[in-house]
Amino acid sequence: MEAGYACVARYGLAKTTVEDVARESRLSRATLYRYFPGGRDQLLRDVIAWETGRFFGRLAEAVAGAPDFPSLLEEALLFAHRAVEEHEVLQKVLQTEPERLLPQLTVESQRILVLIRRFLVPYLEREELRPGVEPEEAADYVARMLLSFIGNQGRWDLTDPAQVAELVRTELLAGVLASTRRDL
Amino acid sequence: MTLVDPGLGTQEQRVIDAALRCIARWGIGKTTLDDVAREASCSRATIYRLFPGGKDALLGAITRTELHRFFGGLARTFEEAGNLEDLLVGGVLYASRAITGHEALQFVLAYEPEVVLPKVAFRQADRVLSAVSTFAAPYLAPHVGADDAPRMAEWVARLVLTYTLAPADGVDVGNEESVRRLVRTFVLPGLVTPRAVEVERVP
Repeated sequence: MEAGYACVARYGLAKTTVEDVARESRLSRATLYRYFPGGRDQLLRDVIAWETGRFFGRLAEAVAGAPDFPSLLEEALLFAHRAVEEHEVLQKVLQTEPERLLPQLTVESQRILVLIRRFLVPYLEREELRPGVEPEEAADYVARMLLSFIGNQGRWDLTDPAQVAELVRTELLAGVLASTRRDL
Repeated sequence: MTLVDPGLGTQEQRVIDAALRCIARWGIGKTTLDDVAREASCSRATIYRLFPGGKDALLGAITRTELHRFFGGLARTFEEAGNLEDLLVGGVLYASRAITGHEALQFVLAYEPEVVLPKVAFRQADRVLSAVSTFAAPYLAPHVGADDAPRMAEWVARLVLTYTLAPADGVDVGNEESVRRLVRTFVLPGLVTPRAVEVERVP
């Protein structure tokens, strides 16, 4: 995976071949085909899934120490927005061959939604939710909003902690938590 | 992205409708001008005359016409809504049904996603979000104030996009009851600022 990712970073998705990855990983082509019977397509799909998983793993680690749930979402948005902007390989591929990356990333996003939802549910179970709101549905809603804002900040400036705090307390959590006041 | 009436004649519209049927059947890549001509019962020469530049020009005209149709329908939906909740519910329902019920768009999303997604993902989503929020803000402003209206319109556009592109288990954005619950549960509590309530009360 590391070798595949290095090749994509160097040559892009279209030009990376199984031979490149074999050379980079110092494995034989035959070995690679044993691991990836689907060849190049499968290898690239798996590399995209692997890096996406790593990205959200880093995100989960980054927010682990947050003092409360709203702060956790604020830190997640700040971190993820910056991480997307600074992700050189992602930005390069988005610019040069989005048509190869995005269909795959859209498939991935279904899996990512499930991961974020599972990550959020235990936090929501500890919070006091507004009457009638279930942790599962709230987790799905918040996960979708997080992904939407990570992809594109729209009118908000997600480098500004004050704006991020307002966003979290209105659009993400106003309908979810019984209280979104800070002074708790 | 233009909201100006493309001002098409009936012949152009017939060719565009025929092309949409072809795309819904075979996709953009495999649809040829011969296919469209046959479907529209006209000649290739006619298509070239109506859309100088051929297939690319036709695809551009299709995009403009469909956007015009979409925003026209959205405007009518907004105009019929009596209050903020109905406006939001109506807007989400209309937009979701327009997307999921658009056979050509659905074919392309399923089989040729590389054609559409680069135009709507990551930074490119700016164009979609800002077009929708610019369009919808004037309808929302009387309810929530001119400052909050664009922000809210963008928020609701995000909801439509996420639930139509990645369907959820518990939410059906084509179903009025389900959308009303979504709007009441997650959206209205974040909107009802003191000012919004005050504005709502003014007759």
